[in-house]
Amino acid sequence: MNRHLWIAGILWVVFTALALAGAALMNPFPTVGAEEAEFSDHAFRMMTYMGAPVFGFVMAALLYSVLRFRSGGGGEDGPPIRGVGAVPRVWLLTTTTLAVVVMIYPGLTGLAELRSDRTHDLEVNVTGFRWAWVVQYPEGFASQELVLPVDQRVKFNVTAPAGDVLHSFWVPAFRLKIDAVPGQITNLYITPNELGDGATDAAYRVQCAELCGLYHARMQMPVRVVTAEEYEAWVAEKAGK
Amino acid sequence: MAILVGLVLAVVGFVTGTGILGGIRTSMGLEYWSTDMSWSVGYPVALIGWLIGVGGWKYWAVEWFGGKAATPPKGVKRYFEWNMDHKVIGIQYGVTFVVLFLLSGLTAMLIRFELMNSGMQLFTEDQYNSAMSFHGIGMVAVAVAIMLGAFGNYIVPLQIGARDMAFPRVNALSYWLVPPVAIMLIIALLIGGWDTGWTAYPPLSVLTKSGQVLFNLAVITFGLVSILGGINFIATIIYERAPGMTWGRLPIFVWGAFAGSLIAFFFTQGFAAGLLMILLDRVVGTSFFHAAEGGSPILYEHVFWFYSHPAVYVMVLPAFGAVLEVLAHMSRKPLYAYRWVVGALLGIVAISGVVWAHHMFTSGMEDYLHAPFLVLTEMISIPTGIIFLSAIGTIWAGRLWMRTPMLFALAFIFNFTVGGLTGIYLADVPTDIHLHDTYFVVAHFHYTIMGGEIFALFAALYYWFPKMTGRQFNETLGKIHFWIMFIGFQLVFIPMFQVGVKGMNRRVADYPEAYEDFNRFISWSGFLLGISFIFFAANMVLSWVRGERAVANPWGASTLEWQVSSPPPEHNFEGQPVIQGGAYEYGVPNAPAHARMGTAAVTEHV
Repeated sequence: MNRHLWIAGILWVVFTALALAGAALMNPFPTVGAEEAEFSDHAFRMMTYMGAPVFGFVMAALLYSVLRFRSGGGGEDGPPIRGVGAVPRVWLLTTTTLAVVVMIYPGLTGLAELRSDRTHDLEVNVTGFRWAWVVQYPEGFASQELVLPVDQRVKFNVTAPAGDVLHSFWVPAFRLKIDAVPGQITNLYITPNELGDGATDAAYRVQCAELCGLYHARMQMPVRVVTAEEYEAWVAEKAGK
Repeated sequence: MAILVGLVLAVVGFVTGTGILGGIRTSMGLEYWSTDMSWSVGYPVALIGWLIGVGGWKYWAVEWFGGKAATPPKGVKRYFEWNMDHKVIGIQYGVTFVVLFLLSGLTAMLIRFELMNSGMQLFTEDQYNSAMSFHGIGMVAVAVAIMLGAFGNYIVPLQIGARDMAFPRVNALSYWLVPPVAIMLIIALLIGGWDTGWTAYPPLSVLTKSGQVLFNLAVITFGLVSILGGINFIATIIYERAPGMTWGRLPIFVWGAFAGSLIAFFFTQGFAAGLLMILLDRVVGTSFFHAAEGGSPILYEHVFWFYSHPAVYVMVLPAFGAVLEVLAHMSRKPLYAYRWVVGALLGIVAISGVVWAHHMFTSGMEDYLHAPFLVLTEMISIPTGIIFLSAIGTIWAGRLWMRTPMLFALAFIFNFTVGGLTGIYLADVPTDIHLHDTYFVVAHFHYTIMGGEIFALFAALYYWFPKMTGRQFNETLGKIHFWIMFIGFQLVFIPMFQVGVKGMNRRVADYPEAYEDFNRFISWSGFLLGISFIFFAANMVLSWVRGERAVANPWGASTLEWQVSSPPPEHNFEGQPVIQGGAYEYGVPNAPAHARMGTAAVTEHV
């Protein structure tokens, strides 16, 4: 019995190491376009690292049992281990600790971080309706392209007309989304920190992420993050019209 | 024949109901027909006609008027009309939902065909939305009802030593409410479909085309099926246990069915109420969800998820029970940490009711709700962890008999680990705000519901097939089904996590070209997954018709259902079985047999 535990334990370590290595090497993410994106990807990675030993444990136990404890179904019984006493208690304690750790970090700490900074350099109003987006800039013009200056914190006031349906404002490169609720204003704060262009990168698009009927899939708007000078020129051009 | 009468009476009922409404409307100077209102009035009348026609009158209601209920026929005929035998009802549920499963699976194939390339190929956007919505509600219905409907009905009374369910008539009623649900969903497709998925979020569901009304009526009916079934299982398990069947000796599948039924009974009302409010908004002109008139769309999301999150545990708790059942018997070991598992099942029932708003982190609900729902959602991993402890502890050092049901049960452990771990990313607000409504979510819930419950379903199906049909299934076909399904499943849903993180959102008829490579791979894998069910269907049909006769106890298992013939005699047991020990006393020296059977009749059937 002890030998089984030792081998399965080694298998656990190996699987965990493999899972950790895989997690460290992988880059499943779209373009990182904002401070909030770095933050979200970091939380994602942390959870992958924390999940690796759990995944490794189950795989080791499962694979070892399948390989070593087979029988032809001859009706011979296994040892009557009932699972009373210390093992379930230790298990409960371990899983509870893990759950509490994940709740606090990256969970609650991340939530607090996400809500901490309510300042902004620029404020725009976004309206979603079936099936398009419109951005209103403080200079008084409207645009069907979202153009933002790099390294400035932007506050988005998102809404939908009272007679419309739910939509959701999402830019994959920024990793944040919020529903556009008819007759209500919701907010997002985003600090884009890389230049980017929706013409070449699908992650730079406003995509409706709440099923809104016929052309839900087509409810997109290109996003461009530009330098401060380019932004000013663009605003001047738009406002001048 | 009874079905034909039911259909005719349903049509008569529909014409009568809509006719009376039309008469009233005409006298008020309105048009005779209003799709929304006419269906809302005609359907309940049609439903009553249907129930009368299929046998509700002949076998039950006639007694209310002093008549005498008819005696049900024997043989194959009884499966096609009202019948109160839990074994007949179990098979009716099983076959109906397997057919619905294959039908909804076929729409998934069409969806994968459409998504194989960027741009529109097979469907228009409108048709895609309807296909996606039908796939969603069809599979949710299958997932909610098949474990309890088929195996709960057939196996629970046998396992607890009862002659039938506590309320056989209610049981028949709840089954015969199912075909109208399927028929209404199909009619909804034929009159132009609906485009709100299975979630029916307003204001879209209030504003969209009339297929929505049929969807709502169908799903409210389905809620009734679930609630009636839930009450029946709760009552049966509390009151119909054989002498000596204490709560501590109940087979774990019965506990899973009990826990799932508690949730179905407590929470289904919420969904039905939400859908009813949408109907009222559409038909009567209330404004629960009309933002323009002061209603709140977010209110619906709360009402909806208050049911629909617990609903996943209606799907999965009986599945936990079935998997642990198969693992224990096919490892020939006592179920590991039995009492802890029971505690975990009941713990999940308790916590499941207070996690719903994790579906709403991006909905615009109040910020202060985020932290508590994050914490409560993470908490559910603790009881779920106990289920894993039990599964692993049970197979460890066992005598694993690698037959088809065992393969599916072991695959469940693998799939549910992936499903459970990826759930953490969605409970955690900072990652969920990106991942919400993407293919990451699609992959996650397919890992839990399909990789979890549906794999458990096939474990249960192969395990109990000999008992329910009296025939042995073909092991080779079973294993081919398993391996193609298992590999195909991983190849479909692992890349979906990736494409979701990359930025592909769900429920879209089309996507940017950047995601095309992933989608092509997923589609081809999807067709592979689809092929596995051809082997399944062939195995079921061939084995049921021409399979080898099954012995009473092909697995050498200890629980009661295996101590009677396959299929069991009409009243399950000759005489009264008495329970004298635990259900999983494998390898325990000098343990008494689980049950002492009532009379010598037992050996006669073996």
